[in-house]
Amino acid sequence: MAQAAQQEEVLGKAYDVRLIRRLWKFIVPYKRLFLFTMLLLPLQQAFGVAQPYLMKIGIDQYIAGKDLWGLQNVMLLFLAALIGETVAAFAHHYFSMLVAQRCLADMRGAVFAHVQKLPMSYFDRNPVGRLVTRMTTDVDVLQEMFSSGVLTLLSDLIMVIWIVSIMFYLHVGLALVSLALIPPMMFAINFFRVKARQNYRQIRERIARVNAYLGEAISGMTVIQLFSRERKTYREFEELNADHRDAYHLSNSYEAALYSMVEAAGSVSLGLLLWYGGGEVLHGIIGIGTVVAFKEYVHRFFVPMRDFSQKYAVMQSAMASAERIFQLLDTEVDIQNPKNAVVPKPFRGEVVFDNVWFSYKAGDPVLKGVSFRIAPGEKVAVVGATGSGKTTTIKLLNRSYDIQQGSIKVSGVDVREWDLHALRRHIGVVLQDVFLFSGDVRGNLILGDPSVSQERVEQAARHANADQFIRQLPDGYFAQVHERGSNFSVGQRQLLSLARVLVFGPEILVMDEATSSVDTETEALIQDALDKVMRDRTCLLIAHRLSTIRNADRIIVLHHGEVREMGSHAELMEKRGIYHRLYQLQYEREELKLTSHADSTVIA
Amino acid sequence: MGRLWLYLRRYWRRYLIGGLCLLGTATLVMAIPWWTREVVRIIEQGGSLSDVRFYALLIIAAAVLQGIVRTYSRALIFNAGRDVEYDLRNDLFAHLEKLPLAFYQANRTGDLMSRVINDISAVRVMLGPGVLNFVNAPVYYVYAVILMLSMDVRMTLAALAPFPLLMIVARVFRGKIMKSSLEVQQQMSVLSSHVQENLSGMHVVKAYSQEDFQTRQFIELNKDYEVKSMQMAKMRGMVNPLMQGINGLTILIVIWYGGVRVLRGDLLVADIVAFIAYLNVLAWPTAAFGWMLSLVERGRAAMRRLEEILATEPAIASQAAPLPVQGLKQCMEFRNVAFAYNGQRNGHAAIEGISFKLAVGKSVGLVGRIGSGKSTVAQLVPRLFDVSSGEILLDGQPLTHLSLSDLRRMMGYVPQDPFLFSTTLRRNIALGREEYSEEELDRAIKIAKLDRDLAIFPRGLETPVGERGVTLSGGQKQRATLARALLMDSPVLVLDDCLSSVDAQTEAEILAGLRPFLKKKTCLIISHRISAVKDADEILVLDDGKIIERGGHEALVRRGGVYADLYQQQRLSEELDQI
Repeated sequence: MAQAAQQEEVLGKAYDVRLIRRLWKFIVPYKRLFLFTMLLLPLQQAFGVAQPYLMKIGIDQYIAGKDLWGLQNVMLLFLAALIGETVAAFAHHYFSMLVAQRCLADMRGAVFAHVQKLPMSYFDRNPVGRLVTRMTTDVDVLQEMFSSGVLTLLSDLIMVIWIVSIMFYLHVGLALVSLALIPPMMFAINFFRVKARQNYRQIRERIARVNAYLGEAISGMTVIQLFSRERKTYREFEELNADHRDAYHLSNSYEAALYSMVEAAGSVSLGLLLWYGGGEVLHGIIGIGTVVAFKEYVHRFFVPMRDFSQKYAVMQSAMASAERIFQLLDTEVDIQNPKNAVVPKPFRGEVVFDNVWFSYKAGDPVLKGVSFRIAPGEKVAVVGATGSGKTTTIKLLNRSYDIQQGSIKVSGVDVREWDLHALRRHIGVVLQDVFLFSGDVRGNLILGDPSVSQERVEQAARHANADQFIRQLPDGYFAQVHERGSNFSVGQRQLLSLARVLVFGPEILVMDEATSSVDTETEALIQDALDKVMRDRTCLLIAHRLSTIRNADRIIVLHHGEVREMGSHAELMEKRGIYHRLYQLQYEREELKLTSHADSTVIA
Repeated sequence: MGRLWLYLRRYWRRYLIGGLCLLGTATLVMAIPWWTREVVRIIEQGGSLSDVRFYALLIIAAAVLQGIVRTYSRALIFNAGRDVEYDLRNDLFAHLEKLPLAFYQANRTGDLMSRVINDISAVRVMLGPGVLNFVNAPVYYVYAVILMLSMDVRMTLAALAPFPLLMIVARVFRGKIMKSSLEVQQQMSVLSSHVQENLSGMHVVKAYSQEDFQTRQFIELNKDYEVKSMQMAKMRGMVNPLMQGINGLTILIVIWYGGVRVLRGDLLVADIVAFIAYLNVLAWPTAAFGWMLSLVERGRAAMRRLEEILATEPAIASQAAPLPVQGLKQCMEFRNVAFAYNGQRNGHAAIEGISFKLAVGKSVGLVGRIGSGKSTVAQLVPRLFDVSSGEILLDGQPLTHLSLSDLRRMMGYVPQDPFLFSTTLRRNIALGREEYSEEELDRAIKIAKLDRDLAIFPRGLETPVGERGVTLSGGQKQRATLARALLMDSPVLVLDDCLSSVDAQTEAEILAGLRPFLKKKTCLIISHRISAVKDADEILVLDDGKIIERGGHEALVRRGGVYADLYQQQRLSEELDQI
C-alpha cells in the first residue's frame, strides 16, 4: 500500500505556444473588449506611478518653496491620480473578468456540445466524474489564469518599465544606487524560485500520495479491520503524512526567506538611498522629496518580483487543464451523420440484420453473423441467456454503436447511410432501467419538443395508463421529477416511459423489458399499456414476461452471439432445443407463479 | 475547541519563539521610519554628512537583521501550523480505523475525504497565517499609533480619519462577497448536476435525439453561472482598488495637512516622511483584517466538524476486559439472531430468527436469492455489524465479550466484493500475515487457481494491481482475495459468495482443490450457486431473512422445495451453457 502513489498530475511548461494559440481562438470573439482591457492596464499604472512623483513635487517644490497654493494644486492632482488609479484598476479587473467569463462559458458550451456527439463506446470507457471535472474544475482553473496569471505577469513587466524609466528621469545616480540591489536580488529570487519549483513538485506528489492512501483506506476500511491491519496501516499513513509535512516545512522556509528578503531589500535600498541621497540633498543637488519618491518606487518594484513564483504555478496548472480540455475536444466523433444522409420516404418499419458481426473489444465478438428480418408491423421477441448478445442487438439498431461486418437495414437503407437524427426519430426505445430527467413530468414526456400540445401529452398518458397517477400528483403534469426520477415508483416510471413512446410516435419500438417485479395491479396496467403501445408498430423485444413471448409473432433465440433457433412459441417448444430449456429456466416459473396466484384468488 | 488547545500546547515553544520573533520584527520595522525621520531632520536642519551616514548604516543594519528575524518568525509559525495539521490528520486516521462498517455506509467516501482534506487545511490556515496575522495586527497598530502620537497628536488623528471607512468597506464587501460566492457555488453545482445527469442518461439522450435540446439547456444554465460570476467579480474587483484608494487618501491627508503645518512652521518635513512610512506599514494589517477574521471563522467551523467525527464513539469495539480467543474449540452458535439496518429499511429486519450451530471442523452452507440476507449473516461473524437481538456464541461466549482483534485474527473472511489495495499482488495476498513461507503462499495460490494467471503476468507476484485492482478481471480479483484468506490459515473460514465472477469450470476446480483444505477448518460458505454449498454438512436456505429449509443436499433435493428448484434451475443453465 505504500506504493499508493497516484498518477501525479504532470506539470509541464507554464507557457505553451500551441495551447495559448488555441486558447486565443476563444478570446477572438471578444477581441475588442480584450484590447480595451489591455489598454486600461498601462493607464492604471501610470496613475499609480504618478503618485510618488507628485509627492516629490509637493515636498521639494512647494513645501520647501513655501508655496501653499502650489501645494494645494499638486495635492488635487494627487487626488485625481488616486481616483484615476482606483477607477482604472476596477475597470480593468471587471472587464478582464468579463472577457474571461464569456470565453470560459463558450468553452464549457463547446465541450458540452462536443461530448453530446461522442459515441456510446466513449462513455463506456470514461467515468462520468472525470468528464464533469473537465467542464467544471478544469475550466475554473483557466479562470485563475485570467485573474492572476498571464495578465498580471504582463502588467508587472509594464510596471517595471514605468518605474525604471521614471527613476532614471528623476536622478541617474539615485536610480543606479536604488537599482544596485536588483541584480543580486534577481539572482536570489531565481535561486529560491528554482528551489521552490522542485519543492512544489515534491509537495504535489506527496499530497497526492496522502490523499490516495486516505481514499483507499476509507474505501477498504472493512478489509483493514477484518485482517487486523489497523496498526500497520496507521504506521504507513503516518509515514506518508510525515513526508508531506516535511516537504511543507522546507517550502515554508523557502517562502519565509523569500518574503522576508524582499521586505528587507526594500529597507536596505532605503538605507543606501539615504546614505547616497543624503549627501546629495545636503549639497543641495536634490530635494528630500526625491528621496521619499525613490523609496516608494523601490517598494513598488520588488513586490511583483516576490509574487512571480506564485503566478508561475498558476500558469502551470492552467496549461495542464487546457491540455486536458483540448484533448477532450479533440476526441474523434466516430459515429457521425453521413455526408449524403438518406431519409427514405415513405418509411416502412422493416428491419433487416444481415450477417452482423460486432464486438465491444477487438477479438471478443458478441454477435457472430446474426441475420434476421422483421417485417413491418411484426412483433419479434429475442430471447437468450445472459451474455447471449440480445441487449447488444437493440443497441445496434439505432446506431449507438457501429458494427464491424455485415449490415443493418431499416426501411431498406443501411443505418450508416441514414440521417442519424431521422433514424432515431423512427425508433422508440424503452429500457429496463427507465431514465427520467430532473424537471417536470411534462418535460419528460415531450423531451425537448415544446411544439407538442398538452392535449397530445395527456392523450398519450391516458393511453399508457399514466394519466391517473399524474393527475394525483400535487402539480399534475408539472410535478417535479427528482434526479433520476427517484420520487416515482418503478411501475410509474415504466408507465411514463411508455407514454413517452406514444408522444414520440415512432414506427419501430425497441424494448428491453424490465425484470423488477411490481404489484399485480400495476402489472396489469403496464400489460394493458404495453399492448396498446405495441399495436401497429414493428417491435423488437427482449422479453422477460411470459405474456410478451406468447404474444410475439416470432421468437429469435440467440445463443453465444448466434441465432440458433427461430419460430413461434409452439414450434420452438416442440423442437425441445435451446428455447425449451430457456423457457423452463426463465418463464415456466412465472407461469407457475401466475397459476398459483390465480388459484389462491379463487380460494379467497 | 478543547482539542485545539491540546495541539497548540504541544507546540507552545514554537509559537512562543515565533511570537517573540514577530515582536522583534515589528520593533525593527518601526525603528526604520524613526531613523529615516532623524536623517531627514538632519538634512532639513543642516546637520553633518557623517550623522546622515550613521543613521543610514543603522537602517541598513536593522533591515538585514529584520530579514533574518522575520524569516524565523514566519517559518516557525507556519511550520507549527503544519505540525498541528500532521497530528490532527494522524489522529483522525487512527479514529477512522476504529469506526465500524455502518459508519462508512452512512458517510460517503467523497464526503469523508473532503472533510479530512479541506477541513484540516482550514484549521491549518487558521493556526499558521491566521495566528501570524492575529498577533501582528494589534502589535503593529499599538506601535505605530504610539509613535505617531508621540510625533504629533493632531496629525495622527487626521491621518487615521479614513481608517474607520476602511474597516466599514472591508466589512460590507466581505459580507457581500461571501453571499455572492455562495450563489456562484450553488449555480456551479446546478451546472455540474446537469452535466452529471446528461452523461448518465446519455443512452436516452441519443435514442431520442436530445443532444441539441440538452446543449441549449446547458447553455442557459451556463449563462446564469456567467452572470452570477460577474456579480461576484464586480464586488471582488472593487475591494482592492478601494482599499488602496483609501490608503492613498491617508497619505494625501498627511502631505496636504502636514504641508500646511510645515509652511506654518510647527512641523518638519521629516515628520511627514515618517508619517507616510508608518501609514504604509499599517496598510497591510488593516486591509487583511477582514480576511483574518474569516480565516479564524472558517478554521473554527472546520474544527467543529472534525471534532464531530472524532467524538463518534466506535460502536463496535472490544469491551473493557475482553476475553482472549485462541481458536475454536467446540462450536459457533447463532441463537435466534435478528439484524436490522439502522433506519435503512424502516425497522424491517434484514434477517430474523436465525439459529444454527457450526461445530468445529464442520461446514454450513447458506443459499438464497439476492437480498435474502445471506451476506448479512456472514458479516455478523467478524462483527462488521452487531446483532440487533439474539446472540452469537463462540464456545459458549457471546462475541461481544471477546477481544475484537483476536476474533478477527482467527477467521479468514472473503467478502463478496473483492477489495484489493493498489500495491503488488504479493502484498495483497499476504495482507493478513506478517511472516509466511513461500510454500504456504504457493499452496494458497494453487488452491485459489491463481497460478495460471500468475504465469501470464510478466512480473508474477510483483505485479501492481492498480487502484482497487483495476488491472485484474473480476474473477482474478475474487481468486486473489480467496488466496489472501487461505494464506491466513485461520481455524475459521467465511466465504461470502466469493466465486460469483469465476466461471463454472474454474469454480469446480477451485472447489475440488478446497475440499481437503476445508476438512481441517470450520467453514461458513455462502453462495448463490448450489455447487459451492452442496458438500456442506448442513445447508440453510434463506428467503427474506428467514431460514425456510435446512438439511443435507440429498435430503433437500428429495424434499422438492425451494432448494430442489434452485438446483434444477442451475443444472438447466449449465446444460444450456454446454450446448
